[in-house]
Amino acid sequence: MSYHQDGLIDVFVGVYILLFGSGILLNSVTDLSTGFVIPAIFPAIMIPIWISAKKRVTMPRIGYVKFGVRGANKMMAIFLGLAVAGLGVFMMFGLGASMGEGWALTLRDFLISNNMIIIGIAAATISSLFAYTMGLKRLYAYGLLSLVLFFTGHFITIPFEYILFTIGLAIIINGFVLLIQFIRKYPLTLGDKTIAEKSL
Amino acid sequence: MIRQLPKNPSNIKNIDRLIHEPTRLMIMTQLYVVESADFLFLQHQLQMTPGNLSSHLSKLEEAGYVEVVKEFIERKPHTALKLTKKGRFAFKEYQQNLKQVFSDL
Repeated sequence: MSYHQDGLIDVFVGVYILLFGSGILLNSVTDLSTGFVIPAIFPAIMIPIWISAKKRVTMPRIGYVKFGVRGANKMMAIFLGLAVAGLGVFMMFGLGASMGEGWALTLRDFLISNNMIIIGIAAATISSLFAYTMGLKRLYAYGLLSLVLFFTGHFITIPFEYILFTIGLAIIINGFVLLIQFIRKYPLTLGDKTIAEKSL
Repeated sequence: MIRQLPKNPSNIKNIDRLIHEPTRLMIMTQLYVVESADFLFLQHQLQMTPGNLSSHLSKLEEAGYVEVVKEFIERKPHTALKLTKKGRFAFKEYQQNLKQVFSDL
């Protein structure tokens, strides 16, 4: 049993990706920088809602557990790894710029012309890392879906935001399916459990 | 093929019988890998009836292996269960003793 089998994380991540895509689409129409603003604001609003949903939906059904520092250390290692990788890319750009126009331009052109492939590989890698750390096999499927869609988008020229919509919708639908299954599997029951707990 | 007899069969006597009982072993295993868990979580994880879980937990509590912590989470009473230092030590010792028994074979 996993604490994330309720599908809530899928719903929230799916909504985030969907809003990210909407922001980019809206940006091209309104020029309000929504492509950056929405993904930046969304976590601040949604994380408290997610925590509250977890307390209302998940905990009363499967109970409460404190995992301690083990899991937290693994997640911290992933975040540090991603931060180091990001810093490495940033330094590569810096080095490229300092080495002269030619090298930097070649690198920039390569990144721009293959951006969909690079984003697809990055999304698949990040999903796989989280899948491995959190023990959630469905994240491998999300990673694979992202890889396939971004590769397809690169070769048949599908706009970036439409790919995000597809991925976001697929994750939300799967999240809701998991949530319904979870609620059916673990109905709210009190009574004999409370009596037994009181006897302790 | 001739197999050797166990070098020290008395090692098996060192196994903690309180932990060795399968249900209590499952409880100890669950609590060993987390900081604390509540009754409902253990019940779902171990697929046990409340009465059965409660009786095994009482035995572990009497032995000083499990601590029952009554706390409030968002003003609601909550019962958390955790291994005591003695319980963690006993579980580690149980692991080592069991390994020793099998390595002797």
